[in-house]
Amino acid sequence: MSVLGLDQIRELFSQEAEVRLAHLDRLLLQLEQTRNDETLIRSIFRELHTLKGSSAMAGLDQVSAIAHGLEEIVEGLRAGTQVVTPVIIDTLLAGADRLGQAIAGLPVAGLPVAAEPESLPDPPAGSELVQLEVLLPSAADVPPVAPGAAAAEAAGARDVGGVVMVPMERLDELVRLIGESASAHLRVGRMLTEKFGVDPTLNTEFNDLSRTLNELQDRALRTRMVPLSTITDKLQRAVRDLSRAQGKTIHWEVRGADTELDRGVLVQLSDSLLHLVRNAVDHGIEADAVRAEAGEPVGGTIRLHAMQLGSEVIIAVTDDGDGIDTLRVREQAERQGIDTTGLSEDDLLHLVFHPGLSTTTFVTDVSGRGVGLDIVRANVEAAHGRVEVRSKLGLGTEFRIIVPITLAVMRCLLVEAGGQRFALPFHRVVLSRRFDPATQSSVEGRTVIFVEDQPVPVSILADTVGLPATQPGTQAETPAGTQAGTRPGTGPIVVLADTARRHGFQVDRLVGQRDVVVKGLNGLLAHFPAVAGASVEPDGSILIVLDPPGLIQRARQAGRGPSARKPDAAAAGTGAQRILVVDDALTIRELQRSILERAGFQVRVAVDGTDALARLAEEPSDLILTDIEMPNMDGFELTEAVRAHPALANIPVLILSSRSSDSDRQRGLDAGADGLIPKSGFDAGSLLTAVNRLIGQRT
Amino acid sequence: MTSVHAVLLPVGPDLFAVPIDRVREVVAAPPLTRLVTAPRLVLGLFNLRGQIVPLLDTAALLGLPVIDAVAFAVVLQTRHGLLGLAVTGFPRRAMLDGLIGPSELVGTAGTFRVGERVAVLLDPDTLLAAERFGRAPSSEIVAPSRVDA
Repeated sequence: MSVLGLDQIRELFSQEAEVRLAHLDRLLLQLEQTRNDETLIRSIFRELHTLKGSSAMAGLDQVSAIAHGLEEIVEGLRAGTQVVTPVIIDTLLAGADRLGQAIAGLPVAGLPVAAEPESLPDPPAGSELVQLEVLLPSAADVPPVAPGAAAAEAAGARDVGGVVMVPMERLDELVRLIGESASAHLRVGRMLTEKFGVDPTLNTEFNDLSRTLNELQDRALRTRMVPLSTITDKLQRAVRDLSRAQGKTIHWEVRGADTELDRGVLVQLSDSLLHLVRNAVDHGIEADAVRAEAGEPVGGTIRLHAMQLGSEVIIAVTDDGDGIDTLRVREQAERQGIDTTGLSEDDLLHLVFHPGLSTTTFVTDVSGRGVGLDIVRANVEAAHGRVEVRSKLGLGTEFRIIVPITLAVMRCLLVEAGGQRFALPFHRVVLSRRFDPATQSSVEGRTVIFVEDQPVPVSILADTVGLPATQPGTQAETPAGTQAGTRPGTGPIVVLADTARRHGFQVDRLVGQRDVVVKGLNGLLAHFPAVAGASVEPDGSILIVLDPPGLIQRARQAGRGPSARKPDAAAAGTGAQRILVVDDALTIRELQRSILERAGFQVRVAVDGTDALARLAEEPSDLILTDIEMPNMDGFELTEAVRAHPALANIPVLILSSRSSDSDRQRGLDAGADGLIPKSGFDAGSLLTAVNRLIGQRT
Repeated sequence: MTSVHAVLLPVGPDLFAVPIDRVREVVAAPPLTRLVTAPRLVLGLFNLRGQIVPLLDTAALLGLPVIDAVAFAVVLQTRHGLLGLAVTGFPRRAMLDGLIGPSELVGTAGTFRVGERVAVLLDPDTLLAAERFGRAPSSEIVAPSRVDA
């Protein structure tokens, strides 16, 4: 399970918030009836507190700020400095509405909070970062057509030749149907040849139809294209706000904003680009004060440069800041147990996309998102693209995202393996070469060839995807003692690459290159490893499109032999350290779970202290990570109960608290906790550091 | 007692049934393309007038011994898209009105008498739940109340 992306966190949060808001409304109405019921007030406080924590985690600062303001009022009720009056109830209910609006991403009505107006930031005049969150829609909100279109439609509704906004699904359907027509047309051509012995290409009508269909397909695909300029304003805004907040003078430059790409691709990239420009502001360029002190010219430039190259678009985010210090990368990598001997400067630079490194060292999480460059890479790869980094110390850094213009049609290399035909997306193919026994050697039972002076492991494609190999002689030639997957055959080798690795795959034969209209599989089957989709061939047969990163992953796992099957055993509890995550907030619970699982821990969850004790009775854990404010039994009580239990007393307890006050810390330590992490400073790095310090991760 | 208008699915020695409103069409043994890396219950993919439809081994789905030959594919409309269930004999229509009792297998919804035979009614939503395809159960992220349970 990978770490949740911001979108997923927000989705979890909105599910959670819906339930909590409804509950909050109910509680408030009850409070109006019963007045000063302490239990009720505590429940209301807890709902607001949880909403505050979860929304902060989801990067929704405005929601968090509103919840905080309301929490202050309820705190007054709890402490007895305020009493429940209809006015207070009005204020709280109105506040709950504002919360709902802010969560739904609607503009929040500026209702002042009567009880404590100062405690709530006035939304329109809120801090820069709050506004940033509100004004920056998520990737999914990128307008489907050029921004001017809506205005044009409104203004020119009666004009002939105006602009019509069309839902994306209709365009998708159109593109699909045109694709179907084109393949039906090809089938007709085939039938003419086979059944009637007529060569259709000699027929003018047939050729006219071919041409028209091709053009139609081209035009239809073009309707899905939007220029990069649809998101550059948002990026510029992010740069401006962040640079102001950090006291940096930054010059923003855009070139090639009219470069068009498929809207689906752009939507997938939008968050990654936002992340890269924020990262450039945050890390690439020093604060004015620092530069002035060092006698350097103040300020820096961030460039966004896009251009089309063949069927691909390259988008580069460049800064003229300090550059990435590869010495530091090496240091950090080694601390994480990554072997850096023999790595070139380029290899070291690419380590910034490594999950552990990107989040702890290079990305200060400016928006509280808890995502790093590894997520950027994952998103770009999901758009069938790749991301590269170049950096010169003292001169600057450039991140390049290279993506296909459209996802609907993919240039593929067609190969045959195990008697079945497969398509390999061309942007992942490094090279294909003829089999030559003289140029390959065996290393630890695995075949290796040299590509650009680098050893690249080779697997048999049929083996990797689980098909019986059909090459003549492959069985007979198997040398004793070598594993399946290393049998030398005589077919050509295709070298594929994901961002970090290269891997060769031996196939039966190369069939050719072709543009393939890729279709996703049924939702139930969409997640199988190594399969990207499928396509209907002109003859009606189905072509499986393979996913090179998934293939490489599979081949490497298989190549590690029987020991590679260990992860299952680890998951069953023999190897991985077990952590129990206790939090009543779904968003925070799931976020913690995803971070810990990715770091190799085996995670269970509990919704409060009582639930946690029940889980621990079933099976002990190596560590407990708990929130404080929870219904039934809070984090302090849980810690005390664990310490008092002979079988559990030695389990380390980490408390995660949004109240980082000293009294909390003291109470936590008194209860027997081993550490306290403030939610305000929560990120994947600090969590893992704290966890590893207590139970030291086995590798 | 309400009756169910259903399509009968002969699967080896067994007889199953699906509510007819879930059945889109029936196709005779389509040519299959193997979906590599998929579990055995996915028999392959077939082309239904340009749409790519997976064919599932109905017996394997229910945890019964796998079937050896596909005679027909019963195409169901599901919320994940079209899906084919493999059957070994001709699927005919029937009105299920003789409820005999409950059924045991996950994804089934009771046993019915059909002439001299007994048919087990399938519940496509349970039968085709994502968890059964190796995907992590999603109950944790549906609603907090589910986690409490």
